[in-house]
Amino acid sequence: MGQVHISQFDKTKKIKQGKKMPSNILQYVNRKWLSIWKGNPPGLVLILFTFFTSLLMSIPIFYVIWRSFFAGGDRWKRLLDERIPQLLWNTLSLNLAVTVCAVIIGVSLAWIVTRTDIPGRKIWQWVLALPLVIPPYVGAVTYIIVFGPSGWARDIWNNSPLIVDLFGEYSINIYSFGGVFFVLTMFTYPYVYIIANASLRKMNHNFEEAASSLGSTPLQIFWKVNLPMLRPAIGSGAVLVSLYVLSDFGAISMLRYVTFTAAIYFQRQGMDISSAAVLSLVLVLLTIAILWLESLSKKKNKYYQTTNTYRKPLTLRLGKWKLVTFFYVSMVFLVSVLIPIIVLVYWSNIGIRMGALDERFFGFAFNSLKVSGIAAFICMLFAMPIIYLRSRYPSVISSAIERLSYSGYALPGIIVALGFIFIFNNHIPSIYGTFHMLYLAFVVRFLPQTMQAGDSSMRLISPRIDEAARSLGYPPWKVMFKVIMPNMLPGIMAGGSLAFVSSIKELPATLMLRSPGFDTLAIRVYFEAHERIYHLAAPSALLIILMSIIPLRYMLKKY
Amino acid sequence: MFDIELKNITKTYSGSEESAVKNLSLTVKKGSIVTLLGPSGCGKSTTLRLIAGFERAEEGSIELAGKTVSDKNIWIPPEKRGVGMVFQDYALFPHLNVFKNVGFGYKGKDRAERVMEVIRLVNLKGYEKRYPHELSGGQQQRVALARALTRRPVVVLLDEPFSNLDADLRVHMRFEVKRIISEAGATAIFVSHDQRDALAISDKIVVMNKGVIEQQGTPKEIYQSPSNKFVASFVGQSNILEGKINEDNKSVLTDLGIIPSYSAYNYKAGEKVYISIRPGSLEIDRNGQMNGLIKELTYSGEFFDIVVEVTLGNGTCQHLIAHIPPEEVVKVGDSLNFNILSQYVSIIKYH
Repeated sequence: MGQVHISQFDKTKKIKQGKKMPSNILQYVNRKWLSIWKGNPPGLVLILFTFFTSLLMSIPIFYVIWRSFFAGGDRWKRLLDERIPQLLWNTLSLNLAVTVCAVIIGVSLAWIVTRTDIPGRKIWQWVLALPLVIPPYVGAVTYIIVFGPSGWARDIWNNSPLIVDLFGEYSINIYSFGGVFFVLTMFTYPYVYIIANASLRKMNHNFEEAASSLGSTPLQIFWKVNLPMLRPAIGSGAVLVSLYVLSDFGAISMLRYVTFTAAIYFQRQGMDISSAAVLSLVLVLLTIAILWLESLSKKKNKYYQTTNTYRKPLTLRLGKWKLVTFFYVSMVFLVSVLIPIIVLVYWSNIGIRMGALDERFFGFAFNSLKVSGIAAFICMLFAMPIIYLRSRYPSVISSAIERLSYSGYALPGIIVALGFIFIFNNHIPSIYGTFHMLYLAFVVRFLPQTMQAGDSSMRLISPRIDEAARSLGYPPWKVMFKVIMPNMLPGIMAGGSLAFVSSIKELPATLMLRSPGFDTLAIRVYFEAHERIYHLAAPSALLIILMSIIPLRYMLKKY
Repeated sequence: MFDIELKNITKTYSGSEESAVKNLSLTVKKGSIVTLLGPSGCGKSTTLRLIAGFERAEEGSIELAGKTVSDKNIWIPPEKRGVGMVFQDYALFPHLNVFKNVGFGYKGKDRAERVMEVIRLVNLKGYEKRYPHELSGGQQQRVALARALTRRPVVVLLDEPFSNLDADLRVHMRFEVKRIISEAGATAIFVSHDQRDALAISDKIVVMNKGVIEQQGTPKEIYQSPSNKFVASFVGQSNILEGKINEDNKSVLTDLGIIPSYSAYNYKAGEKVYISIRPGSLEIDRNGQMNGLIKELTYSGEFFDIVVEVTLGNGTCQHLIAHIPPEEVVKVGDSLNFNILSQYVSIIKYH
């Protein structure tokens, strides 16, 4: 019956008769294309734009992997024999130790503040998440100041005869496995804490009541009811910590430990860029292994959703344990928030009196604002079309585009930086060494943060809204600009501010890609701390922390 | 003159084996109100989305106001079809106020006047500056309807427009929406799963099930002479029995006894048929021909909703649902003598 109408449209008819074969192929391709998009294909501009964005996001990583294949058999053999086993041991042992301890601290704190009558419970709730705004390399600086060879702890130690009598001369070495382990644990436990806290608050109290009616003690309830149900939260928190430890460069190198990231950085400084590529490949594989673990934990997550009516949990009376518990929580807060802030304020104060807030300082701050601002702006611009495509045109192609866009985020920043060096040095030398490379690298690193935030507000916009606008005469591109964008803006802004703060904090890529003389706050913290000019490092570090507070509200709301 | 013509439309969603809509043909007269009625998953919403252009049919053609908008070679996107759509959740633009929502997409020079004209039509004068979240459900629906009418569309499509309203408002809005659409002189297609909505507002009802049209006709035709068992039981309640046309061609022989029906003369004497008895057809009569026991009794204000158990000649039981006047003094277990009134009885072809 459909053919009846063909006669009315001579054009289509002629094409059909004229070139039979090509039109058959065209029809086949057309039908295939339609079926990929479930009969609703997006516009060409949208496809091309998002496709090239995702390509830009993933090329640096692929380039590094590609280059590692051309490092030569000898280099591979030498690295495999001499470097890689030691690096693997250093990286994995640190990773495991930090992850395990961060999980223990994070879960225990979350349980204490959600389930017990600890004094000041409401304040602890959010105060314990605060270490999130202190970049671990800043934490490292503060603990070098405290425990370093000429630190405060040494003065106290050597000035108290009792300690000297008992333990001898000052013997704490912050530049050690223990030091790195301590700093990374104290500044990464909030990842676990926030997620566990959220799950405990959402967890249905009925289960606990059921267990207690069956005669379980509070401790048994924790082990047999809470802990198993927290497994997905612990899993995703642990993956976040583990991915962070794998990618951290700042704290690790400041505390003179060597993992893959530090090794890659030093190889590249020693101009052995092929070795750096080989080490990067191993690091990529490690990251993929952890991401694979994460996908497993996410699958499990589904079984544990509690959908019954929510009831406010009972609080456990701590009784004689109150003091011990309070001491524990306070100690964690002291070590992870208070001491770093006190140290930074102390040295900033000295610095300011010595004139640290001079033109140079504001120059660094301006440089930070400039590159991070540009990066955040580009992130906001690029994130929207990808989110729109993914949400409104679900298909194999759009999820591939989304996944590719995530590659620079999932993998350590140092690898992105290495990829940029390869590409720009070899193919686009005109940009090499300019500050353009810096913000582009930030975009590759942090676009997905903007995408995540934007996506959460996109989810609130019903597809019916699009259809309403379409039926009122707006073509898809106009719908995106006039209807979707105004409604997505709050999420995109939140995402932009996340990308902005991440860019300000970013260290390894900034170190490797900045043009000579183009220093940012992060760079200054790194170098001044290296040279123990603490009164210059502290103001920069403090400013970074202050700016990191901006998106904290949003980050906490997400869980 | 048909405003809308669907010819042999088939739509199968990818990943599903059953077609959502199967070889469906439908015409809608200019200026009329048509309701697609059916249970969820019957293909009524899909049909609406095919007309709007949000879905694409594999087979068949769609004509709007004499223009083909979809067939094997032609595809006109939704923004060029000139249809107005009212969504179940209204889908008002949250970032725009009432005036801007109603004027969305209207390009004429008389934009301000036209928007105000439509706002007056839906009785929302004074609310122009409000935002959607500041309006009640009924007001939001008025905005949604106004927005769909501003551009004087070929047809207004309404997808379950009353399902988000509470009972009182729902009855009121039925009349309001019907008034607004008639005053605007628009052609409208509703989608609904609620037979009361459909009976109240439609010029024509199209009953759908499993992707095909079961019956179409005026509300009265659909209610009084359902053409098959599905329609009889979906549109209103009904007792469906098997029977045979009586020799006199004026009644049907059933296990219950002889039931009078005017439409029996359309059938051959002795032909096997189904018979549909509406709950209202049961008349209590002390000298009535039939007798049964009241098994269930529910007071609903306007009437008693009862289930009567009739013991048949062969010893088996037949249950009948019926409505009886609320002033009757009855209780569960009472024996009841009754007659069946012919005006609520219809005969359905045996199939």
